[in-house]
Parts: sequence; C-alpha cells; structure tokens
Amino acid sequence: MPVISIENLKYRYPGTKHLAIDDISLTIEKGEFIGIVGQNGAGKSTLSQAMIGLVPQFYKGAYGGKVTVDGIRTDTCPVEEMCEKVGLIFQNPFNQLSGAAETVYGEVAFGLQNLGIPAQEMKERIEKALKQLDIWQYRNRNPFNLSGGQMQRVAIASILVMQPEIIILDEPTSQLDPEGTEEVFRVVDTLTSAGFTIIMIEQKLEKMAKYCDRLILMSKGKVIDFDTPEKIFSRDDLEKLGVQPPAYTRICRQYGLKKEDGTYPVTLEDTINIFKEKGVKLRRPESGKDAAELGHNVFRAENLDFSYNENVHIFENLNLLLDKRATAIIGQNGAGKTTLVRLLKGLLKPQGGRIWFGEDDISGKTVAMLADKVGYVFQNPDDQIFKYKVLDEVMYGPLNIGMSEETAREKSLKALELMGLKGKEKMNPYDLELNERKMTAIASVIAMDTDVVILDEPTIAQDYPGRQLIGNMIRELSEAGKLVIAILHDMDFVEENFDRVIVMAHGKLLCDGTSAQVFSEDDVLKEARLQKPYLTELFTKLEQ
Amino acid sequence: MGNVFKTKLTAATIVLIPACIGINYLGKLIASVLKLPLWLDSIGTCIGGCLGGPIIGAICGALNNLIYGLTTGDNITLIYALTSLGIGLVVGILARLGFMETLTKSLICAVGGGLAAVVISTPLNVIFWGGTTGNVWGDALFTVTQANGMSVWIGSFLDELVVDVPDKLITVVIVYLLLKGAPKKLTSLYDVNAEVERLD
Amino acid sequence: MGNFSLYVDNGTWLNKMHPYTKLLYILAAICIPLIGGKLWLFPLMILCSICLLACGRTLKRALPLVAFSFTLIVVIFLIQGLFYHSNENVLFKVWILTFYKEGVLYAAHIGLNILNMLLSFALFVLTTSPQELVEELEKSGFSPKFGYIINSVFQIIPQMMKSKDTIMDAQRSRGMETEGKLLVRVKALFPMISPVVMSSLINTRERAIALEVRGFGRKNKKSFLSERPKHKGDRAIGAFLVLLIILVIVWRIASCL
Repeated sequence: MPVISIENLKYRYPGTKHLAIDDISLTIEKGEFIGIVGQNGAGKSTLSQAMIGLVPQFYKGAYGGKVTVDGIRTDTCPVEEMCEKVGLIFQNPFNQLSGAAETVYGEVAFGLQNLGIPAQEMKERIEKALKQLDIWQYRNRNPFNLSGGQMQRVAIASILVMQPEIIILDEPTSQLDPEGTEEVFRVVDTLTSAGFTIIMIEQKLEKMAKYCDRLILMSKGKVIDFDTPEKIFSRDDLEKLGVQPPAYTRICRQYGLKKEDGTYPVTLEDTINIFKEKGVKLRRPESGKDAAELGHNVFRAENLDFSYNENVHIFENLNLLLDKRATAIIGQNGAGKTTLVRLLKGLLKPQGGRIWFGEDDISGKTVAMLADKVGYVFQNPDDQIFKYKVLDEVMYGPLNIGMSEETAREKSLKALELMGLKGKEKMNPYDLELNERKMTAIASVIAMDTDVVILDEPTIAQDYPGRQLIGNMIRELSEAGKLVIAILHDMDFVEENFDRVIVMAHGKLLCDGTSAQVFSEDDVLKEARLQKPYLTELFTKLEQ
Repeated sequence: MGNVFKTKLTAATIVLIPACIGINYLGKLIASVLKLPLWLDSIGTCIGGCLGGPIIGAICGALNNLIYGLTTGDNITLIYALTSLGIGLVVGILARLGFMETLTKSLICAVGGGLAAVVISTPLNVIFWGGTTGNVWGDALFTVTQANGMSVWIGSFLDELVVDVPDKLITVVIVYLLLKGAPKKLTSLYDVNAEVERLD
Repeated sequence: MGNFSLYVDNGTWLNKMHPYTKLLYILAAICIPLIGGKLWLFPLMILCSICLLACGRTLKRALPLVAFSFTLIVVIFLIQGLFYHSNENVLFKVWILTFYKEGVLYAAHIGLNILNMLLSFALFVLTTSPQELVEELEKSGFSPKFGYIINSVFQIIPQMMKSKDTIMDAQRSRGMETEGKLLVRVKALFPMISPVVMSSLINTRERAIALEVRGFGRKNKKSFLSERPKHKGDRAIGAFLVLLIILVIVWRIASCL
C-alpha cells in the first residue's frame, strides 16, 4: 500500500498559460527516500508542494487529477491539518522562521502550540529534536541571529517535533555555505535511518546519489523517468534535459567503466571499487593555466585594517595583489570574503592601510565615482530590481554612468544574450523565476562594461544550464581583459572555472594559487573547513 | 456592495500585515535618508488596502500606530491610529471599486485617502492639542488663521489639509506604480474571489 | 537596531507585574484627571507615574520619551496663549506678544494631559515585554492570528532595516546618487522603495507557506509552554485602581448634581 499516490496530476499557476505539472502519475512506498531531479522550471517544487496541498490550496490556479497521502486527498484537506502528516522544508532559511518567536526554543514550539500539544509533551519533544540536531546549545538565542546552517537546522527541528510521516526537503542547502551544507546533510543522514518517507529536491546530485532509493527525473512538468539513481544517471539524454550526472558517473563514463547491470557507478565508494576492480589507472587531467601572472596589478591592498566595531577586527594588516586572472575567493561565512570585496568596491572604507586601483588610491573615492570602473553583483537580485522590463532594468546602470541611450541598449542586449535571457527583454523581471532574476542582475552589471566585475555567490539557485552560462560569462569577460572576482561556495565550479583561488578564514588569506595547488593543501582546507571538489577527492582516494 | 469588504484571514493575508507595517516604517526611513520633504509613512497601509481589501488596510493602519505607540511610548502616534485606520479603509474601498486601475483613477483614490486623513485628524488635533499638527508649515498656517480670528476648526482643517493631502497623493501614486509591476503570482494570493479551477 | 522594543528586563517588581495590571494603571491615570475635571489632578497623576518609574529604576529611560513632546507643548503654549478664541484677561506681556490667562490655562490642560499620558505609557512600555503581553492576551481568548501579527512586527522590522542598507549599496553600485539636488534625491526614491516592497512581498509569500506547514490557523485551541506566575499584588492593585476610577466617577456625578 503506497503512502503517496498521484494520479493524472495537472496544475497551472494563476496568470500563466502553460501547465507547471502535466499529467503525472506515480506512487511512493512508505520509508522510501525519493529524489526529484531536473532543471529549474521542470516542476520539482510544484510537484512536492502538491503532496502537502499547498498546490492548489495556497496558490489557487487550475488543478486536475488526484494526490492522496495515507488515503487523504491533499487538494481538499486544509494544509494546517495535512502538516501533521507531511512536513516541508525549503531553500530560504530566513523565511522559514515563523517570525513570531524571540528564541530558538519558542520557534520550535510554534508548530506544537498550533497543534495544541500539552506543555509537558511539548518540552519533551523540543528537547529531543534540538539535541538530535545539535542545536540545544542555541535554544535561548534569537533564531534570526544564527548562521544559515543553524537556521536551517532550526527549521528542520521545527518540522520534526510535529512528527510527520513524510518529510519534503526542497533544496535545503542551496543557500548555505559549505559548512552549513554539511551540517544539514549530517541531519539528513540521521533521518534516513529513522523510518521517515523522504522526498528531496537537490542540485547537488552527488548527494542525491548517496541517499536516494529512487529518483524522479522531471522535465517541463512531466516525469521522464522514475528509477534507481544508477539507471537515471546512466541515461544518455541527461544533459539535454538540463541535468549533469554526478562527477563520479562522468568519470566512469569517460573510462567506460560499467557495472554488471550495465549502469555506471554513482557514488564515491562504487567508483573507487570499480577502478580498483578493473585495475584501471586514473590520469589526473592537465591542470589548466599555471599561476602565470597576467599583466599588471589591478588592485593592490596594503596593510589593510578593518573592523565593523571596536571589538571585532575583521582584517589586520592584510596585503593582497590582484591581477587580471579570474579569481575565486572561498571560505566559510564570516571569513571576511564579502567584507574584502566591499572594500575593493569602495562600499566600505578601511580604517588603516590603502587600496590602489591601478594608479589611484580609492580610499578617497565614493561608490558612485567607482561605479563605471568596478561592477558588483549582489547576492540577492531582489535587492536591486525595480523596473518593469528586463531591458530597462539592465540599462539603468549603464545610463547612470553616462552612456548614451544607444550604447546602453546595445551593451544591455549583449549582456542579456550572454546570460541566456535573449527573448525575455520585454518581460517583467518579477515574472521571472529567481534563477533568471539572478541572471538579470548579473547582466545589469556586465552591461556597465566595467574593468572589474565582482560576483557574490553567482551560482546560488542555478541548475546545470545556469552554471554553464555563468562559467561561460566568466571566460568571456576574462578573455576581454576584465578582472572577474567571485565569492563562491561551490568547489567544483571553482575548480572548473577559475585560474586563481584564494582561501580565506577568520580575516586572513590562508592560501593563494591555482585550483590544483589550493585543493591539494589538506591542512589549509581543514583550517578553512572546506571540502575538496568531488573529482579531486576521487583522485586523492585512488592514489592512497 | 457587501463584496467590497470581503476579507479572508488566510496565512498569506496575516503575514502581509506585519510586512506592510514594516514597509510603512521603511518608507519613512527612506524619505528621511533622502531628505525628502515628505513623510511617506503610509505606503504599507495603502498596499495592505489595495491587496487585502479595506479591512486589511484598516488593520494595517491601526496596528501600525498602535504598535509604534506602544513600543516607543509615543502616545501622539497612538492617537492617530484612527487616522491610519481611515486611510487604509478608504484606499482599500476605492481600490476594490477599481480606482487603482489606471494612473488617473489612482489620483482620485489618492485624494480620497488624503481627505480621510484630514477629516479624521482634524477633530483629534482640536481635542488633544487645540488644533496644531506639529508640522512647521501647517502650524504656521494655523497661527495665521487664529491670528485672523477664524475658528479653530477651520484653522486646524486647513493646517491638516496642506500637510496631509500632498503626502498621501504621492504615497498613493507610488503604491500604484509599485503594484502595477507586481507579478500575478504574488497578487493572486490576496484575491478573495480566486477559486481553484478544475482541469478534469 | 537589534531590538525594536524599548522593553528591558531589569528584574524589578514592575517587570514581574501582570501586563493587564499595568494597562489598567494607564486607564486610571488617563481617566481620573479627565473625569475628575480638576487641573490639580494632572500633576498628581504625573507625580504618581514618576514615583512608580523611579521605583522600577526606569526613570532615566523615560526621559527621552518625554523630551520629544516638549516642542509640541511649547507650540501649544504659544499658539493658545496668544490666540485662544476666548482669550480676555491679559496674563503677561513679552515684547509684542500678549499672553492671555484663558489660553495659558487651556494650554496647561493640554500640556499636562500629554505629559500624563506619556508617563503612564512609559511605565507600561518600558517594563512590559510585548511577547508576554501577546501571550497573556492569547490566553484570555484573543485571536492567535493577531498575536502573530504583533509578535512578528518586532522580528521582521529589524530584518527589513538590514535589507534597506543592502538595497542602497546595490543601487549605489550601479551609479545611483543619494545626495545632491532635490531632483537627484527624488530620482533615487523609486529604486530604493521598489526593491524594499517587492522583496518583502516575495518573502511574505514564503513565510506564509512556512506558517501553513506549521499548522498556523487551525481551529483547535492553541497550547502554551508556561503558566505565568501571578504576582501577589496584581489582584490587590487592580482592585484598588478600579475603585479609584469608580470613586472619581461618583465624585464627578455628585459634584454635577
């Protein structure tokens, strides 16, 4: 008897013309760990939200077919009742806090209070969940002042205490730093053995391969396939559907290493085994351009001192040279990455030391004076979008820095094309999804044609095609002689796309070199609490 | 006409209210950061009225002043809860009647909101502070009317009129421009008449 | 701006007192002079509030609250003293300005009323946690939906303030000017206010989902983590305040007869 059964589900959001879910039927058994994969806009979140009844009850729109959980129809059973059976955790840790509690303890209690659970039982459940997720020590803190990973664990605890049978995790780590991601996955580890039925949506497919019993592969509102990770990731048409198989599978495919059932391995262990079993030697790929410095220095920071207040020093006596190599800055949240790039952009002023941009000392310049030289793409596109048309939004910056209407239009159209938004120039940016809004924000800075482009976490919320577009953009700008600096949490993306990598931790530069150099420094990575890219990890493991 | 006041207290509308109160606060803050000669402290209330209807607008307005009054201990704000309530209510009603559909129509809505503010504030000014508003220009005008022997009511009415109407006019136009750009996916959450259409 | 509320828990008996008792005090403080109709009742109640604030060691924190009403009171004295409609008897003259007895008396009424209200409110606001008030209200049958609205305002506004700073930085990075001529500043208004509003509406949608999946809006009765220990004096003080209000009403009626 399946716990979730979906029959001919169809759904259309209000005010749109196409079906977000187009005739899906499937069943999920109790205790299964199910993954949903597919590119952005494939309907993954919509499908998962239909399992708790948010689709259609919350969004309205047009709905057809039937979804039942434990025999209860989700399209008519109110969500506030359904939540006893199904728990939902989504991307943004911030917006998942109820906003009504001053402490973590109160936050986790919120759902139980709504269910009317007696005080004594509430206390027992909360204590158990907080300890299980290792956040008991934060119980009296304000949840809004926690880190993303901690907040996300609070969100999971808030759902766990309500004791649902089914837990939906909708990209729970996409907005977290590497450490927060690890924290959340450690929690997912403990959930797998606790007998829950789990539905997880995630772009980190190496993780999906590790956890999932079966994967639902979606594209354009339809289910293309529903099978084991090995079968799904061995499909030949995957990249066409906007999904990149896990790094391990790609390597095995490259070496033609198949398992007995004709599928490629999908996890690290299986890959190591198959390489050893078949006695194949793995060759390290040529490590790209060497640390050859390109041209003269763009930025030179000398003896930089900076602190937000008297007690907390972020930088003391920091020295840094940046040339024109595309540079990735990696490290945990709080390492000082954002502070550093804000200093370079002139948004913050150093208390001591100097920053030279070419021949100019920027300490005395305002942000506006630097606007046409240094571009900065903020993390959240919603912090800047205000026009009704994508093109107008992108043209705002170029016009501000004194470009003619004609030049601004030309550069904007080019930037939009580069970011994959050709044909969407006339759309309202708020009708686009988050990943496309992010592309709009990137385009709006690229169109300003600045010598330097700083990107703060460009890959958040991006799927495989989106990451390819961003990688492409970085290459193109570098070739045009511009300096690209990016803060990133995605080590695999760093390895593939950057010539220079700087590792930061607690306000210091721990390491600086090519990605091959940096990712071979185990001690540095440990101190910065960073993980190796999947492929580097595989090489290291095989060489042992 | 009963339809005009139709209100659903769903989670979406409940969460809208604190957000609107926050927007009021930030509107005021941004006006002061940019040193604009305006208050812009009721943008959120008007958004609440336009999206959630007159009742939600009224709640946004009233709670806005009650909460600020109670937290900052500023009971002057507290008394004007009635005014904010009126603005939210009137803008909400006019929006439901279609006066936020075009820019020209929104001007009528703006005047409506401004007049609501004046009509409610004037008696409060007279009862509590003998007619003044605390705004330099308005009070200068009030002083002139009093020096010329006009009644307190007319003086206070004029005082309030020059202070409130221009501010509300700009506020409502800003709200019109903002909501014009809001995606359907967001605004439809607050549509009281929305039903789930069946596809089978 | 971490904490939006002025409440500080300094452990005095005023903190421990039930919020309702303090609300009742505000009612009494405002009603007694207004119903009693005698000018001397205002200073009496003001003195009373000051004494209580001093007891709760919060008098210092109350000062800024009172200070900002001073301009208003000064303006009222000027306008009413000079131009009050039933001004007849000259009280004193300063330069060319003539102050009248009636106007000054009227202004004194208004001014003292403002001070009285401010101080009694200060007593409540400075010593009561908004969350505690909401929880007590909910226990007495007040809708949890309204309780949520009030609680969340305190949590959400500090977050929105942070996003305002980011928005300003993001737009300045794209060459927006925030200083200069009026026209320049007006031009910056929309690029600032629009992302504030839009991002809070988008966040609103997600937060509403977060609430629904946590059982918000269920029909059953909400439960609470803790029972509030009632202060011994709450009942006695409450009864005393009610008695005072009744007394003053009786006295007013009696003096009218």
